[in-house]
Amino acid sequence: MSAAIEVTNLTKRYPTLTALDGISFQVQRGEIMGFLGPNGAGKTTTLRILTGLLEPTEGTVRVEGIDVSTHPVDVRRRIGYLPENVSLYPELRVEEYLLYRAAIKGVPRGQRRARLDEVLQRCALGDVRRRIIGRLSKGYRQRVGLSDCLIGHPSILILDEPTVGLDPHQIRQARDLIKELGRQATILLSTHILPEVEMICHRVAIIDKGKIIAVDSPDNLRKAMTGTQVVHVSLRGESTAIEQAVTQLRAIPGLTADVRVPLEEVFIRLTTQETDGKDRSDAVTEPTHA
Amino acid sequence: MRNLIALTSREWKAFWYSPIAYVVGGFFLIMQGWVFWLLMAVLNDPRVDPSWRMSQFFFGGTFFYWLAMLVMAPVLTMRTFSEEKRTGTMELLLTAPVSDLQVVVSKFLGAWLSYSALWMSTAIYFFVLRRYTPLDWGPILTGYAGTLLLGAVLIAVGCWASSLTRNQVIAAVVGFVVMLLLFSVGFLETFIRDPETRRLITYLALLEHFQDFSKGVVDTRPIAFYLSLVVAALFLTVRTIGHPRWRL
Repeated sequence: MSAAIEVTNLTKRYPTLTALDGISFQVQRGEIMGFLGPNGAGKTTTLRILTGLLEPTEGTVRVEGIDVSTHPVDVRRRIGYLPENVSLYPELRVEEYLLYRAAIKGVPRGQRRARLDEVLQRCALGDVRRRIIGRLSKGYRQRVGLSDCLIGHPSILILDEPTVGLDPHQIRQARDLIKELGRQATILLSTHILPEVEMICHRVAIIDKGKIIAVDSPDNLRKAMTGTQVVHVSLRGESTAIEQAVTQLRAIPGLTADVRVPLEEVFIRLTTQETDGKDRSDAVTEPTHA
Repeated sequence: MRNLIALTSREWKAFWYSPIAYVVGGFFLIMQGWVFWLLMAVLNDPRVDPSWRMSQFFFGGTFFYWLAMLVMAPVLTMRTFSEEKRTGTMELLLTAPVSDLQVVVSKFLGAWLSYSALWMSTAIYFFVLRRYTPLDWGPILTGYAGTLLLGAVLIAVGCWASSLTRNQVIAAVVGFVVMLLLFSVGFLETFIRDPETRRLITYLALLEHFQDFSKGVVDTRPIAFYLSLVVAALFLTVRTIGHPRWRL
């Protein structure tokens, strides 16, 4: 069976910049894959190409074995897409909008009501189903977007920064929902928040400046990425005492302390590989009392 | 096909949900009502030629008819693509399992059906008129048919103009200018000596072709001409939104 998403050597060039520079990756069926990278790295561009919204300059995208550039409509039938900025028709009621989306996504007339009830319940939108979309808060609108994503019963969900702009409580709800959806569908989601990937995803692709720099499980990546931690300490006290404290710090294996004049700011670099998992927090915080 | 119906009914509803519908509709009905009253007054004058008919003036016979056409079509179509591009809903529309062609045709149909509904509401004038005088329905029917057909051309052009920009005002202005060019190309005839070019120009003139309809003559040539203009404008629109520069 072909992979859910198979991206090969994808390149997108604009006249003044190369947004994607030959990226390749695969998403297996049933997997939740994270697409991690800073803003402007090419995440949205990639996701838009996957949905057939943009055409790549080079390279191919296959979704469940179907080529996006030759059969965009067939591919879109399999995909539920949540854009970065969820824009919905503000004059419609939640129900009206979702029924319309169900219709254009080819849900048979007799099943639309049932699908509607199911996604409303899933996304906890039952209370606002008769409200006008334009008057809903951002969090609700995001959930309407997610319901729209689900209503066509897609086997793949593509979510572009699904938690951006939500409050902490809504973020937690959204993450729980995504994890739950991941049991039935393949999910590719983009984010620039590392902990989010660790919480939700089975596998992560890290993208920067249009190139994939790593694909691995979040655990392995964290070990590689957070090898060094920098602690910034401001010290107040007599200069001799501070100097003494810094000397003590430097004696600790795996730690380097960079002192910035006037002796009140100290950057302590802690290399975790060398600390073999031992908790060094005591050693680090102690000198602040000097 | 099911997609097309769902998309078109969305376009139709979007038009009637917007305030533009009532501004344009009000403007249109006031003007048509006034024109009808004016024509009644003129035709009731015993000095006018008794063979003159209401339909030949009501459909294309007055300045107001063309004014209504050239103002209404850009205003009805300016929001079709521009609004979706500006608000960002275009992204969700184009990532749904629908083809670009379906999107374009549904937007055209939505605007054209709204336009047709406004025009058909003037049919009531003729039903009122019939109570006082016998009517020849033939030219009235061809008058409406021609109006709807001409409207299809202008609305297809308007949709194309809207697909070019996120700004509705620019869409309306571009649409208006292109429609004005199509409408007035026949006037160039007077300036051109070369008989072949002259023939070409008269062939391209929207205005000339329209005269037949209001007289009750059904000629397949103008019908084919109008329909091919519609297809050409819609094809151009599909190509425009397919182009990365104008897609979102």
